[in-house]
Amino acid sequence: MGSNIESLMHGFSIAITMQHIVLMVIGVLLGILVGVLPGLGAPNGVSLLLPLTFGMQPVSAIILLSSMYWGALFGGSVTSILFNIPGEPSSVATTFDGYPMARDGRASTALATAFGSAAFGALVGVILITLVASWVAQFALRFGPAEYFAVYFLAFASFVGMGGTPPVKTLVALAIGFAIAAIGIDTVSGSVRLTFGVPELVKGVDFVVAVMGLFGIGELLLAVEEELHAKAVTSKIDWREVFRTIAGLPRYGWTLARSAAIGCWMGITPGGPTAASFMSYGIAKRFARKDAPFGTGVPEGIIAPETADHSAGTSALLPMLSLGIPGSATAAVMMGGLMIWGLNPGPMLFVDQKDFVWGLIASMYVSNIVAVVLVLLTVPMFAALMRIPFFIIAPLIFIICTVGAYSVSNSYLDVVLMFGFGILGYLFKKAMYPLAPLVLAIVIGDKAEDALRQAMLMSKGSLDIFFSNVLVTCLVLGGFAFLLVPQLMKLARLRKPQSALGPVDV
Amino acid sequence: MISQRAIEVTTAALTGLFGVAVIVSSRDNGIGWGENGVDAGTFPMLVGSAIALGSLYNLARGALVAREIAVTWPALRRVATLFIPAAVFIALIPSLGMYIASAGYVLATVGWQRKLPLWKTGALAVVVPLFLFFVFEKLFVVTLPHGALLDIMGL
Repeated sequence: MGSNIESLMHGFSIAITMQHIVLMVIGVLLGILVGVLPGLGAPNGVSLLLPLTFGMQPVSAIILLSSMYWGALFGGSVTSILFNIPGEPSSVATTFDGYPMARDGRASTALATAFGSAAFGALVGVILITLVASWVAQFALRFGPAEYFAVYFLAFASFVGMGGTPPVKTLVALAIGFAIAAIGIDTVSGSVRLTFGVPELVKGVDFVVAVMGLFGIGELLLAVEEELHAKAVTSKIDWREVFRTIAGLPRYGWTLARSAAIGCWMGITPGGPTAASFMSYGIAKRFARKDAPFGTGVPEGIIAPETADHSAGTSALLPMLSLGIPGSATAAVMMGGLMIWGLNPGPMLFVDQKDFVWGLIASMYVSNIVAVVLVLLTVPMFAALMRIPFFIIAPLIFIICTVGAYSVSNSYLDVVLMFGFGILGYLFKKAMYPLAPLVLAIVIGDKAEDALRQAMLMSKGSLDIFFSNVLVTCLVLGGFAFLLVPQLMKLARLRKPQSALGPVDV
Repeated sequence: MISQRAIEVTTAALTGLFGVAVIVSSRDNGIGWGENGVDAGTFPMLVGSAIALGSLYNLARGALVAREIAVTWPALRRVATLFIPAAVFIALIPSLGMYIASAGYVLATVGWQRKLPLWKTGALAVVVPLFLFFVFEKLFVVTLPHGALLDIMGL
């Protein structure tokens, strides 16, 4: 505990340097930009930036990328509130009460409520990481291959069981991700797998290409299909109202605390920010007085999704750092970055890469403050950007994604693959398949497979190894519980009418 | 008009085909228990089977879904106005190169809408490739494909 505080202080000395503050500002601004633009989101924004970080120190690179993530989370809320267009899937729930409030002429109140509660949510997430991450990592140091595979299994099972999308569709999405991860040279035997007669596939399919297509092109096709009309309300910021609103937030302490708890839980188990914000909104509605006019601009309707969104986004980095399992699609992309920079995500980071880990954790405190200030200052500017007609923005985003996919490894095949992933992403969205598990499986598929094969090697092919001690048995049983209990509950509830709330996509 | 059912069935058929392809391809790598533990084809085989079986289930479920409309004709036309030029753009990159192809792509898509004065469309088509050139070729030293056309012209 004491040593955590000490490490954190050391982290601050790394995070608070001129160079890193500048990187945070750049990251947050780029993040707000991708967050504001529909069709560009945090996962593909971070993947676009990734190739440009290869020459950097890992700690500088992760500060840049994570700042972009925070910026994107904030930017998504701006368009939700001012234009009723969620810039990010995770800010859909913010439109329910944020836009009506802004339409009533209280745009400053709505934005300040959103940013204030978002900052609170992020803060809870970072404090959780500060206190718990190194402890989890220490615990995880004792893990062998069997335990690792069991943890992966737990993560994937919780996706299937609690993701909110039809379980078999989630399973198919996950399995496709695993198959894509297996393409190329097998790390254990050295043999070439699943190239389907295309020699260039020997190098494998880069997750950046998949993310660019699935999230970038897929979202773009959806956005043109839905024909977004930017019906803007005024974007002028009344600073006195901003401070008054933020000062009044503690009145909603119970909503804040509950939403942050939901967010942290959904972030650590890979439910992700989108599911967290919907769940939190639904629960806030259920807990509220019967006559609370949700959907017309009540503060709780903004506080609940925003707090949960940001605490989930932040705490998604906890399992990434301490176990090597990302809690959201964007965290998966960042973890892919870690591997490219030559770091090994997982408990050893806390032993070998103290500067990296604590520099990142400390930077999360600072960059979230930077993000709140910057987002308030730049709201009018980014709101003006939204008035550029979408028929101009859409081809530009498409070109950016194309160039981004090409620059991953200077390969035209990647561009074609990205386009293919774009079509898949559009179909998946339309048919309500989740995209996050697919990306997660591409990133950690190899590690999960290796863990399974090593465990099998140790036990000479017997599955008993997954029940050989209390820890691994608990993890495996927990995985099965995540997988089966929600389905059994659904069966039990079949006779009752379905409730209308539920988390959706990503 | 495209029904939700058509989308569900198409998606399930595509994922199912991929699953079968994975199963077939994984058989080349050996399945089961070999000298070095689990053979390389085993995991892809299991994963491919999960995809194929899951797709079969989704196909059956999808075929039973009510015929509600998922994409209307006007919406489909909007998607096509983005999709078709984009596909042509990507197909032309090897021969025209990224710069000329992106200029043509901007001209075609923005020009198609006829909502912007011609000189603005033209300016945009010049600015975009120039921007790409300076950011990628100069700033980050990433060479974008110049294409067969520029190669012939000796650039």
